[in-house]
Amino acid sequence: MMTLHPLIEAGWVNAILPELILSIGGLFLILFSAFLPRLRGATAPLALIVFIIAALSERMVVGGTFFGGTYELSAITRIFDITFFLAAMLATLFAREYLEREQIESGEFYALLMWATVGMMMMAKGLDLLIVILGLELLSICIFVLVGYHRRIAISNEASLKYFLMGAFATGFILYGTALFYGATRSTNFAAMGKVFATADPSDPLLTIAFVMLVSGLGFKLAVAPFHGWAPDVYQGAPSPVSGWLSVAPKAATLIALIRLFAAMTPLLEHGVWLKMIAALSILSMIVGNAVAIAQRDLKRMLAYSGIAHVGYMLIALLAVGEEGVAAIAVYTITYALMNIGAFGVVSMLAKNQNDPQTLDDVAGLGFRHPFFGLALTVCMFSLSGLPPTAGFIAKFFIFKTAIDSGHIAVAIIGILTSIVSVYYYLRVVYYLYMKEAPEGTAVPMHGIFATAALAISMLGIFLIGIFPTPLFERAGAAARAMLH
Amino acid sequence: MSHVLSWIIWLPVGVAVLLAFFPRTAVTPIKTMGLFGSLATFAISLTILSGFQDGIAGFQLVESHAWIPEWGIRYALGVDGISLWLVLLTTLLTPVVLLSSWNGIHKHPKEYVISFLIMEAAMIGVFLATDLLLFYVFFELTLLPMYLVIGVWGGANRIYAAIKFFLFTVTGSLLMLLAIIDLGFLQYHRTGIPDFALRHLYQLALPMHTQAILFGAFALAFAIKVPIFPLHTWLPDAHVEAPTGGSIILAGVMLKMGTYGYIRFCLPLFPDAATKYSRLFIVLAVIGVIYGALVAWVQPDMKKLVAYSSVSHLGFVVLGIFAFNQASIEGSILQMVNHGLSTGALFLLVGVIYERRHTRQLADYGGIAQTMPLYATLFVIAMLSSVGLPGLNGFVGEFLILAGTFQTHPAAAVIAASGVIFAAIYLLWLVQSVFFGPVTKEENRLIPDIAWNEIAALVPLVLFMVWIGVHPNTFLNKMTPSVQEVINKVQSGGERGQMMLTENAARRLLAASGVKPAASPATGAGR
Repeated sequence: MMTLHPLIEAGWVNAILPELILSIGGLFLILFSAFLPRLRGATAPLALIVFIIAALSERMVVGGTFFGGTYELSAITRIFDITFFLAAMLATLFAREYLEREQIESGEFYALLMWATVGMMMMAKGLDLLIVILGLELLSICIFVLVGYHRRIAISNEASLKYFLMGAFATGFILYGTALFYGATRSTNFAAMGKVFATADPSDPLLTIAFVMLVSGLGFKLAVAPFHGWAPDVYQGAPSPVSGWLSVAPKAATLIALIRLFAAMTPLLEHGVWLKMIAALSILSMIVGNAVAIAQRDLKRMLAYSGIAHVGYMLIALLAVGEEGVAAIAVYTITYALMNIGAFGVVSMLAKNQNDPQTLDDVAGLGFRHPFFGLALTVCMFSLSGLPPTAGFIAKFFIFKTAIDSGHIAVAIIGILTSIVSVYYYLRVVYYLYMKEAPEGTAVPMHGIFATAALAISMLGIFLIGIFPTPLFERAGAAARAMLH
Repeated sequence: MSHVLSWIIWLPVGVAVLLAFFPRTAVTPIKTMGLFGSLATFAISLTILSGFQDGIAGFQLVESHAWIPEWGIRYALGVDGISLWLVLLTTLLTPVVLLSSWNGIHKHPKEYVISFLIMEAAMIGVFLATDLLLFYVFFELTLLPMYLVIGVWGGANRIYAAIKFFLFTVTGSLLMLLAIIDLGFLQYHRTGIPDFALRHLYQLALPMHTQAILFGAFALAFAIKVPIFPLHTWLPDAHVEAPTGGSIILAGVMLKMGTYGYIRFCLPLFPDAATKYSRLFIVLAVIGVIYGALVAWVQPDMKKLVAYSSVSHLGFVVLGIFAFNQASIEGSILQMVNHGLSTGALFLLVGVIYERRHTRQLADYGGIAQTMPLYATLFVIAMLSSVGLPGLNGFVGEFLILAGTFQTHPAAAVIAASGVIFAAIYLLWLVQSVFFGPVTKEENRLIPDIAWNEIAALVPLVLFMVWIGVHPNTFLNKMTPSVQEVINKVQSGGERGQMMLTENAARRLLAASGVKPAASPATGAGR
């Protein structure tokens, strides 16, 4: 093959094979639904097939670094890729019947989901801040459209605009932070930055400002308090399957980028205030998220605030800079994908005017009106509140274990205390499901094969990880070790 | 039968899963299947007795498989003299509940039966787990079914009661989780192997301040569960609002998970802290005994009266545990079983009459003995067992507790003994006003007497009340070695604590006299 550019070495196809499949698959789906509008019902299954092929192609690619040391394929990127695929596939399954009911189904939706996934994969694999930013932008542009996908609905448009404005600001912060890091270290490559950090002065104001800028920008994407303001409105306005996906996948991608930055900064972290800042963000998120979620009657807003709290938990693992923390985050994001997308999925199956809030009243008596959905939502709620034998327990246990092992006992205690608060509002959903009669005019749950399959996958995953977590632990542990050494 | 312990945990789960696929309308097959499933579990649990060897203190019939090897968590089960009778109590009470509610549950019977079977499995797991984390998993697992039982099938104010029950318990248990993780961490630092096995954790010799914190977390979780005064406020709500079956299991088994926790975890794991704070628990236990009895006395509602009597009776159990001697702890364990039998029977009986008349107010009854003679007989037996009449089970338990406590804390024993008298007053008052005298209300003349299924549910309970009362040694013999071992652990821990104290005192003296003390050998694994 002729040499295109010095950075594009032999084997570049290998490096981005799943990304290529998804990108081309997305284009194909758009054309498919444009030229064969009658076969619109087949787009979702086709999208699933594309995702499955992309996931299978992960097995063929060979690990290593590519493109001049800016792109990494390794065990950890594979785990995060699986998380992204899982999230996107669950969203696709829930979207199929949702979009049909709302009469907005077309190929673009799935194509955007694929391209967003490509963006996240770039964020996870980028060894250079610029690659991360490139991936982030690709992701963000897809999200702007996906959030506003319900274009005839006012709140969906409003959500899109809010996310767009906030996202633009966040990108600005990230770019500014990156520029300052470049100024301080003469590189945007994590490894090269790490070398400079090893001898840098931890009290250097330039580094601190750069870090604050970058973390604030990424904090917007993570919806971590105090950068969480957009999350409830956007999740509420976005189509429910998108909200579920949005609350999980982009956060996972942002976290892995943050992990890479932290790994590079390890020599500095012991001395600087950076860990304290992350601890403060974590504590604030746990308190704000859980406290405000109590007051929510709208299910999607409640899940948005609970999501803020969950990011708080995940940040605890980031405090324990090391293998355990990385493995804990990997386990947590997969678990969170299963339980949170499942919860949003049940909400998406409630047939009612999407401009109206989807409140707790809409699930009243659902446990007996539609036992399967009721059971699924119960399982998701218990997993979210971290009670055994669900995956949520295992994931939370892992987080608190890393916190105690690394000596962050105070943060762990705050985490436990706020979890107790969270049990109240998760339990309230179960109370509505089983102990409340459905009032007049309650939303009727739709029946759907795709959504049922998605919920079955969610529940199976939640119990599988909850009861037999060992295979996942082994992979996550080995991947984290390989990443940090 | 090998793996008998696993069988009795997983058989109810298997039946519950099968039941989930039954059509909702097949009410009788569902009930029959549930009843036979729980009866089979009881039958299998009886085979534990044949495999159980007297005179051995440690866990028997053990099963142990790696579960989450990365964290050293094992699926480890075992039974000893402390848990044996509680397991059998659980397997006995579940069929009793399903039988007694044969005709009483009209709303969602399928989910009702499934809830009780899952709950049974989780409760058995709590008593059998010998891995700290496995214990925690089962401990939490009992919450959801009970929450649903109270919240779906309960009385008018059920939602409040269910949520209160759940939040109280979860608050305690989540803090305990943190302590469990910390124990695992300390064990890992001592041995280099991640491990939550109870018998290994027993060997942790922790310094006092660590013990105190961890003991606090465990003790709080169990104090809420028991409940110990002043954390008892969830109990009357939960009991009154729960359906009859829920009350029977709640009082009969679930409260014992707390007192069992003290004997199994708090005492042997943190002997110094347990010794140091035993006085606090004895005071709270005595207050609970008296307070529960006094409040029970003034209740106009039968179920509430029985609920508060639980606070009083469980106070005895806690008193016996923290008196730290052979007789008192054996008495406590026996009293846990006794309370399960007698209070279970009382709740069942209150449920019987409530189902017929839809009121539990004492004032609405009077002279029922004339219309329901059989019912009255059974009620009086259960009541006398609860009061502690010699010849029935309650007497043996209370006597052992008081006799044992008197050796170490005579004042506490004397004050608590008045609780027995109060119990006689309020229970006799209950029986007198409901059953004897003239029939005051016309509508009470036509109440049908107790039905076949309710009698069938009560007879085994009465049988055991008499058996324990007449020949308690059948039951006590099996627990003696295990209890002895717990006491040894507490005392050796306490002595070690004494040694540490004297050593510290000696060091202070040396320091005062200006002599530099030689480096002393480590007295405990520090952080």
